[in-house]
Amino acid sequence: MAFGRRHRGPSLPALPFLLQTLSLLVLLAFSSSAAAPTAASPAAMHNNNWAVLVCTSRFWFNYRHMANTLSLYRTVKRLGIPDERIILMLADDMACNPRNNYPAQVFNNENHQLNLYGDNVEVDYRGYEVTVENFLRVLTGRHESAVPRSKRLLSDEGSHILLYMTGHGGDEFLKFQDNEELQSHDLADAVKQMKEKHRFKELLIMVDTCQAATLFSQLHSPGVLAIGSSMKGENSYSHHLDSDIGVSVVDRFTFYTLAFFEKLNMYSNASLNSLFTSYNPSMLLSTAYYRMDLYERALNEVPVTNFFGSVMKTIHTDSAYTGFLAAHDTETPLSINHGMLQNEASSRRSNMEEMKEAQLRSHGWTEILQEQLEGKKTEIVVMYGLGTMGILLAISTWLSM
Amino acid sequence: MAPPARQFSLLSLLILLAAASSAVGVGEEEFTEELLLRPLPDRKVLAHFHFRSSAPPAAAAGRHHHLFPKAISQLVRNFHISELELSFTQGRWNYDQWGGYDPMSTNSAKPPGVELWAIFDIPFTEINATWKNLTHTLSGLFCASINFLESSTAFSAPRWGFKLNPGNLRYGALPREAVCTENLTPWLKLLPCRDKAGIASLLYRPSIYKGYYHSQKLKLTSSRSGGIILDQTLTVVLQPESFSGKQLHSTDGQLHPSWSMEHLFNKRLSGKCLVSKSSRIFVEIEKGIVDKSGSEILWDNEVFVLSTTPDRVLKEIDHMEVQSSSLYEYDVSNYNDEKPLDVGITWKRPRIWSCTPPPYHASRFLMGGGNERGSIALSFLSTNLQKHLFSGSNDCLRKAVVFQVVPWYVKVYYHSLEIFIDGSRKDISEVLDKIHVTPSEDKLSPGTLEMLLRFPCSMQSATLTLDFDKGFLHIDEYPPDANQGFDIPSALISFPEFNSSRTYPGTDPFFVSPLLEDFKEDGVVKSYTEVLLVPLTTPDFSMPYNVITFTCTVLALYFGSLLNALRRRIGEEESELKKTAAKRGLIPLLLAKLRGKKIDKSNSGSSPASPSGSKLLLKVVFVAIVAVVFHYLSNS
Repeated sequence: MAFGRRHRGPSLPALPFLLQTLSLLVLLAFSSSAAAPTAASPAAMHNNNWAVLVCTSRFWFNYRHMANTLSLYRTVKRLGIPDERIILMLADDMACNPRNNYPAQVFNNENHQLNLYGDNVEVDYRGYEVTVENFLRVLTGRHESAVPRSKRLLSDEGSHILLYMTGHGGDEFLKFQDNEELQSHDLADAVKQMKEKHRFKELLIMVDTCQAATLFSQLHSPGVLAIGSSMKGENSYSHHLDSDIGVSVVDRFTFYTLAFFEKLNMYSNASLNSLFTSYNPSMLLSTAYYRMDLYERALNEVPVTNFFGSVMKTIHTDSAYTGFLAAHDTETPLSINHGMLQNEASSRRSNMEEMKEAQLRSHGWTEILQEQLEGKKTEIVVMYGLGTMGILLAISTWLSM
Repeated sequence: MAPPARQFSLLSLLILLAAASSAVGVGEEEFTEELLLRPLPDRKVLAHFHFRSSAPPAAAAGRHHHLFPKAISQLVRNFHISELELSFTQGRWNYDQWGGYDPMSTNSAKPPGVELWAIFDIPFTEINATWKNLTHTLSGLFCASINFLESSTAFSAPRWGFKLNPGNLRYGALPREAVCTENLTPWLKLLPCRDKAGIASLLYRPSIYKGYYHSQKLKLTSSRSGGIILDQTLTVVLQPESFSGKQLHSTDGQLHPSWSMEHLFNKRLSGKCLVSKSSRIFVEIEKGIVDKSGSEILWDNEVFVLSTTPDRVLKEIDHMEVQSSSLYEYDVSNYNDEKPLDVGITWKRPRIWSCTPPPYHASRFLMGGGNERGSIALSFLSTNLQKHLFSGSNDCLRKAVVFQVVPWYVKVYYHSLEIFIDGSRKDISEVLDKIHVTPSEDKLSPGTLEMLLRFPCSMQSATLTLDFDKGFLHIDEYPPDANQGFDIPSALISFPEFNSSRTYPGTDPFFVSPLLEDFKEDGVVKSYTEVLLVPLTTPDFSMPYNVITFTCTVLALYFGSLLNALRRRIGEEESELKKTAAKRGLIPLLLAKLRGKKIDKSNSGSSPASPSGSKLLLKVVFVAIVAVVFHYLSNS
């Protein structure tokens, strides 16, 4: 935890602060109800996107895994995630591999139309650096102090993160470099830590390996959505072989994911649901698996660009920098427009009061509990509780005899 | 040997330095771009890109930069670097064919993989920590795993074998680091025009990485008075496809392949980078080619013709005051989109020539077999260069400096050094003048060997051998492809008595070309040896897993059956079976309990059940009380 940045979400606005804003609003009628969104939504807004793209396989015959990862890299870059928000991990060098007949080029299709390696690839972790340890460090943000910013996942509680992994997997594990394994427990622990440290708002895990679905079995953190290429006991297959390069160049699941994304641009409104339903088991030769029990929003309302692009919801505010304005205006005398806008102000005030009541109502149950606990000592209540438990236990054992 | 020449070069250097410092003194940031093209004897083409950015001293300009990359100036400021060189190389420089006695091989021939050295301007105690931070920063900047050099097993501190220093130099090499587009891209981003305009726009990735040799270098020099000078060079050796369609060996009487820039880089040059101070292209033609034709100044002679008329022709004079080649210069600022520049050469006659090799051809190899021990041999073969150069007596001595870093798992026995000259074993003291050894420490530091040798001039071949034992690594320390073997970084051999500097008479003092300035600098002839691949014993990596699974299975079988045998009570099992046969629901059970246990007792007929039941109940109550007390105590 020493490395984690503590974020205090604006979830519980202090009452004096609310009152202060209220009074300020009365004074400054032109400052709109900007404080309302922070008061109403307990969680942070989605305000940035990150992508962690991992290719875990080494050696030339695993060319397709690197092509998979680079295709996704190209897609998310095309849809608007900048390079500094993409952590790209490639376990081997395929582009300049001596076996590559097309130096400095990587293709994911035998038509060789699209060079994935391009002129502007930034690889953050490569070769021997792609280890389970480094992967978990990236997710949890526990780095040595010397590690540069480009190698860190600097997300916050408003981040949507896409985590894409490809390689060779098995029942509840994913192989890294044919040398070590990432287990589903490790992944779930890392995600849990990320949640605790407010490192993401929503996380989409996409895995293209054999038995990918098993990797998600231990996940418990809310806000996580997972897609795997195959169910337990199923293999994920490659799509086609490129006879010029001599190896398979892309996996089926990634190929059809890309086929879906090639039709889209930054402004399209395709939902995650349409992506999920686009996978056809007879084409994939495996069953794509989705885990959405941890995810609150309805999938047909979430555009894919929420994860694969960097498209934010724009909220219109009448005045920018309300916070600064308010801080300044406490010292300044009443503004000139004060008299003019008094009517409007009073109506706003009534609005605000209604809202405050709603706020209180929603916290009614907590209030009652608070009242009940006010006079008594908490320890006593707990003791009573334990006593009751003991009695219940005794009765049940007596019954079972 | 030639004191007047040296003095002259020194003087010219001084003048140049003065000119440079006066230019920098104005406080202007400058950028120059240059490209040198040279046909090689083995039908290949060498292209050497040189970009120089310079910034005035920080005090004069503050922290703002106009042309100079901010990332580099921050690097220099944060880590107090006075000199730094980082090179990324793929392929090996062919010293025999491409030259080993010219500034190009001295400056731009680098060992494969990544090589980094830096001189720091801080107290000696802080250097190692700064080096670690520097490697991390560079790895972030250039998308490479340079951070592996942070570990103390990866870098060394040579004193005089690499470069004379008081102890503030650190050197590290990663022979197996891949070099690709992702390293070139951030390197290009340091240029003011990136690869969008000017000479850098020629860097067409597929053709560059198709080459036989590719070395991308970044050199930083910083001083309080002179500011920061950043030299970025890229040296590639390419194979132009011959028009005749056949590639034949250089010794054949075939025409060399004709080429042009468009041919090599898929692009013509349409103008310079607008912010550059000068933008030039040189075509260097060896003396051996033009010698016989007599009219070497002409760009259109009976041997070859250049596709474009050069703006100027320069003579290159080597250290021995002999003309080594001629340079045809093109000023890129004269060309634009309508009139793009496409420098090329068309051969008219077959020509055979050769580049000057280094005085000794150095190579390194492994001897011995098996996984336990072996020895490293370093061989020197005379190229008989001195007979050409110095036609003096044979009883002189020639100096050679060897610098070698060996990882700790190759445990070298330095006392086992043996020297053979022309096949006969010599006493070490006869040849070895000076030696500095830093023995390796297991998992702490690598071994460093610095030697100054003196060979007799008449010597034809010399071999040095060193025995070593192969160490064992911890199972976690093996890389994923341990079966491939482990690399010993290249050794550096330098010949301090041979100077590769060049001079260019007849150039006016206002002619400033950083590329040629580099060639004018006093350069000791150097050559890097091959990287050695040592196979180490690798454990069976699946063995621990196998052992665990087998042991667990055996244990489970043993304990399972034992427990079964011990725990099993057949009498109770039978009564249990009877009970389950007469199983009732919860509510009848509850009613029966409330009415009394007489029915139960009569049914079961066994009396010890009730005392054991009350014991269990007592136990449960006791545990609950303990829990309550513990909770109360821990809270209060």
